[in-house]
Amino acid sequence: MLTPDELKRYDRQIMIEEIGPKGQERLKKARVAIAGAGGLGSPAALYLTAAGIGTLRLIDHDLVSLSNLNRQILHGEKDIGEKKIDSARKKLKSLNRMVEIEAIDETITEANISRLMEGCDAIVDAMDNLPTRYVLNRCAIEKKIPFFHGAVRGFEGRAMTILPGKSACLRCLYRGPVAEEKFPVIGVTPAVIGSIQTTEVIKYLLGIGQLLTNRLLMYDGLEAIFTEFTVNRNPDCEHCGMLAD
Amino acid sequence: MSIKVHIHATHRRYTNGQETVAVEGKTIGECLNHLIQQFPGMEKAIFTKKDKLHNVVEVYLNHASAHPNELVKPVKDGDEIHLIVMLSGG
Repeated sequence: MLTPDELKRYDRQIMIEEIGPKGQERLKKARVAIAGAGGLGSPAALYLTAAGIGTLRLIDHDLVSLSNLNRQILHGEKDIGEKKIDSARKKLKSLNRMVEIEAIDETITEANISRLMEGCDAIVDAMDNLPTRYVLNRCAIEKKIPFFHGAVRGFEGRAMTILPGKSACLRCLYRGPVAEEKFPVIGVTPAVIGSIQTTEVIKYLLGIGQLLTNRLLMYDGLEAIFTEFTVNRNPDCEHCGMLAD
Repeated sequence: MSIKVHIHATHRRYTNGQETVAVEGKTIGECLNHLIQQFPGMEKAIFTKKDKLHNVVEVYLNHASAHPNELVKPVKDGDEIHLIVMLSGG
């Protein structure tokens, strides 16, 4: 049940036919994990908090540094040196005190991933490297938790939604290990991609719209174009190949 | 017979800035070889060695993933190939 404060706060989105008060209640009951409180995690956390997600589980092990601030808008100059999850929690609570923030200061590994994602309704991929993305992908497949992929470089980004056992997963596209890099990026790119991921999470939780399942959406900020590619499940995928449709 | 290859922004330095290149071939592999004949710099950009694409290079045929076994996939007149570079930043 929504409180009078909540009805007032979320009035503009409750007005949306596809949301309404029942949809708002569904958002309130949801727990969403965001893996990473950086460039993608910032817009995802801010917009999910603003939208009234019940519980946000934010996982990051890093400290805020000056070089984060061109894109990681959860954090500011006064947060430099602080744990990102602490900085994020303060920012998110100041935005919406009604959202429960579960801030976890851990590095995501194969050993702890199952515990970290336990009880979540959705997982947002806001990582900055491929190996950890695959750890998240495998966990999402095993726990059958929808997984919302996003990645950026420069002015370019991509997003895809993974419904375990129903649509292509990140590993279906795997072609072998890729060297880690210090990637160039301008903040508006993760702003676009993180917002697309967040839109997908909200659509999934509400059961509305067409998800980016089996659809890889590419964004080219320089050309100002979106391009869509079809991606199919790989029956030999080592993460999801064993799952029936 | 002509197939259009869309060149990723980071590879256009090897194609004199061209965003698309017309190629010929019966498979994606043949088309990429024709691309390299025209622009030799593309070889190192997309292949680690003969018939082995870089792990970060993704190939799409008519806006659908050609993975796995991309290079042997047949193509026909009017087809479009996109060469995309995988992203990992966040």
